[in-house]
Amino acid sequence: VLSPGAMRVARGLARRGAAVAGAFAAVLGATSASASPEDLLGYGARTSAMGATGTAHATGYEAAWHNPALASGVRAPKLTLGYTGGVLRLDAHGEGLPGRTSSAPVTGTTIGAEVPVPLGGRLAHRVGIALAFYSPTDVVVRGRVLYPEKTQFPMLDNRAQSVTIRAALGADIGYGIRLGVGFAALAEVVGTVVAATDATGRVGTRVEDQLVATYAPMLGATYDLPLRGPARWRVGATYRGTLDARFAIVIDGTKLSSLQIPLFNISGLAQYDPAQLAVEVARRDDLNVLALQVVYKHWSAFPGVLEPTVVCTEGGAGACGLTPPKIDWNNTFVVRIGADQGFELRRGAVLHARGGGFFETTPLPSELPGSDAYDRGTKSVGAVPTRYFDSERIALTAGTGLSLSKPLPPIDLDLFAQYHILLPRTVTSVDSSGAVLSKGESSGHMAVFGMTAGVRF
Amino acid sequence: MAHAFRALLGMGILLTSGVALANPPDTYGFGSRETAMGNAASAETRGFAANYYNPAALVRSRGLELSISYFRADHHLEMNGRDNAVDPVKGINGGLVVPGRLFGVPLAFGLAVHLPDDRISRVRALRQEQPRWELYDNRNQRLFLAANLAVELFPWLQVGAGLSFLSSTRGQLNISGSANVLQPDDSQLRHEVDADLTAIRYPHAGIRVVLSEDVAIAAVYRGEFQLGLDLGAHLSGDIAGLTTALYDLETHSVNNFLPQQAVLGASWQLAKNVRGTFDATWVNWSAYVPPVAQLDVLLDIPPPSGGWPATISPPQTPAPTRIVPLRMHDRVIPHFGAEWRAIATRRIDGFVRGGYEYSKTPIQPQTGLTNYVDRDRHTLSLGLGVTARGLTRVLPASLSLDLHAALSHLVEETTRKASAADFVGDYTARGRIVNLGLTLTLAFDGWDKPTGDP
Repeated sequence: VLSPGAMRVARGLARRGAAVAGAFAAVLGATSASASPEDLLGYGARTSAMGATGTAHATGYEAAWHNPALASGVRAPKLTLGYTGGVLRLDAHGEGLPGRTSSAPVTGTTIGAEVPVPLGGRLAHRVGIALAFYSPTDVVVRGRVLYPEKTQFPMLDNRAQSVTIRAALGADIGYGIRLGVGFAALAEVVGTVVAATDATGRVGTRVEDQLVATYAPMLGATYDLPLRGPARWRVGATYRGTLDARFAIVIDGTKLSSLQIPLFNISGLAQYDPAQLAVEVARRDDLNVLALQVVYKHWSAFPGVLEPTVVCTEGGAGACGLTPPKIDWNNTFVVRIGADQGFELRRGAVLHARGGGFFETTPLPSELPGSDAYDRGTKSVGAVPTRYFDSERIALTAGTGLSLSKPLPPIDLDLFAQYHILLPRTVTSVDSSGAVLSKGESSGHMAVFGMTAGVRF
Repeated sequence: MAHAFRALLGMGILLTSGVALANPPDTYGFGSRETAMGNAASAETRGFAANYYNPAALVRSRGLELSISYFRADHHLEMNGRDNAVDPVKGINGGLVVPGRLFGVPLAFGLAVHLPDDRISRVRALRQEQPRWELYDNRNQRLFLAANLAVELFPWLQVGAGLSFLSSTRGQLNISGSANVLQPDDSQLRHEVDADLTAIRYPHAGIRVVLSEDVAIAAVYRGEFQLGLDLGAHLSGDIAGLTTALYDLETHSVNNFLPQQAVLGASWQLAKNVRGTFDATWVNWSAYVPPVAQLDVLLDIPPPSGGWPATISPPQTPAPTRIVPLRMHDRVIPHFGAEWRAIATRRIDGFVRGGYEYSKTPIQPQTGLTNYVDRDRHTLSLGLGVTARGLTRVLPASLSLDLHAALSHLVEETTRKASAADFVGDYTARGRIVNLGLTLTLAFDGWDKPTGDP
């Protein structure tokens, strides 16, 4: 038989449950965050076919992702529409693991715009603007922060399910030098939910959530090397700042009665792109391009997707109760190569054949700490495995394009396809004593295709 | 070829493109010129403001146009003589228009944004009994983003359209573990969230017909949208080791609603340098869905093995919320505007503008449980503008600065409750809104070349 004190506890919890649950609308409505699928797959049909290179050779709207300095090369307004589709086959094999995991297909539309700024005098034909948008077909943003013992690929699964908004301004300052600035925009959510009992004894809830814009800066530069010969050599570098989006909602039910319950910190990091530096050298001829790129990504600053649920009386969230596993993420490197060969079919019509590939290391360590969870059977806290998986990735890319100009209609058509291979890799999760909680092998592949059509006017 | 292209382009314009999020411009206008003219602008708008007032008018631009604007609308709304502290709406408006020609046919792409200072958007959920200024309290605290295409099929016919884009939310939240209500810091709880913002699209389109050098008419349609919120929550765990608790919740609500609108407008050249404009906007308020959630709740806290003591009632599932429907009426809002070009030289133009609009409240008298407050609104607006051309050689463009000031008066009226025992009781509400702003526009429009466009 429960004591009267325990019954007060139970009734209080029931009443709080109603109020707090009514507040979940705000919490889930707040799970709005985005990341860049372009960091995963590249952006734009032309450069995506070329191993996602472009820091030194991107053109038009694609410069908004690859290098804002290259927006200076825009000479005519152009609007581009496109579609991207793909499937992810992500496998985690081992004891207690599902094998093939469930991943939503990648489908989305691309909108690109490029505009020359028609200044005069010495600034004529030197300044341009590039805008890049991508919107998944089914969702605007997917925010998924799951319990760590659930099998998941946090680096891959949801990162393609997010809107992209990027803008860039580039200027040709002469002497073969171009400079550019740009930004990426996302939204994160902060808010409070207060549940309280009013003077009439009824439980009420006040919800206030706000979507707040977050921005990541982007800086770029290119330099045309003063080499002799028919080909032009260009070096490009782009820095992209950290792009992250949290949701952070605090649920306060402490004013429901004299009974105390903790503040609930319903928070997490739904999407994240690390700060990164890309350097590329490209050789350009009238009808061909060859590019080699290296990218450094600062994943070691990644705080992880999970945050503590209980806000402690002293010290705030994380000072007491359960805390998420702390993972030492690795910085990563990407090596990309791409090529484009053009064939002039007739005056004003050039057919392009493109190809490339890249190799990207994984930020996920091969040994992960276990996670703490309350076990209702033993009524105590125990360790559960952290079932995160990821692999080094090899991508092979190909594509074609048709570029028309006077006397033909000023239209560009581009197609690309990518095939990503996740190299087999063993990931283990161990508890504090070193005992293995889970061991599995990640592997899989991704197939992505896309097309764009652009018109200059 | 050209005729076929025009037909295809016209159809394509009506079927494609556009991104838009919500509509604070419905209340406060968009761009200083059009706001100063009482928002009577569907037949007269141009530049980035056309993204909102009439996308067909984008094609009136003859060169790249870049605009940036700032406005602030302060609310002084009160009930029973006490200010209700409704937050101001303030932020940057901006946009661009990129015109060009394809197969000799003029077309244009436009992009416009209203970016609030403090937030992209805000969700505020209150109990339906709590008095709130339904049309001003929170609905306008959000981003507006629009992109459109326009084409001039013939010199007298311009068509533009966008496919607007919003997001609803669906998702699931789980909390599990042990809640220690005696020592909250000893609670062992975790959470997970799996939520999607799903895409919603709705159309908006416009047409502008140039009847003569002095007269143009326009029609605009803006589609309806609802931001849905479909959520589930699951709590399971122990209560301090004494018993267990299970709580399941499913909720569906419309978090934000914008009614469809249709606008008919006209613009007259009344004198050599004076233009008058008129818009009539039909707003389908009767379809309005208030932001109150429908809930399905399951609560299970099993009794201990010995049963509940007779003196204690076991906890029950909370009673569902009884949603009182909000009835609203469709409205036609008249807008009047005028623009006088007071200074007209080759390099400098100066403008004086004015306008008026009347918006009758669509909300029926709140005599019952709910308290969605609104009042009839009269808005008087004024503005000044100056355009300078040929400033420097590196800037072959027109530079325009426009200012606006608008004062809205919400007529005082007393709401009388049907029940003398009403928890809120009778109240008198009234208010005013002060809206100030300025817009800077850079138009690479070949200013020394006449366009011949009325």
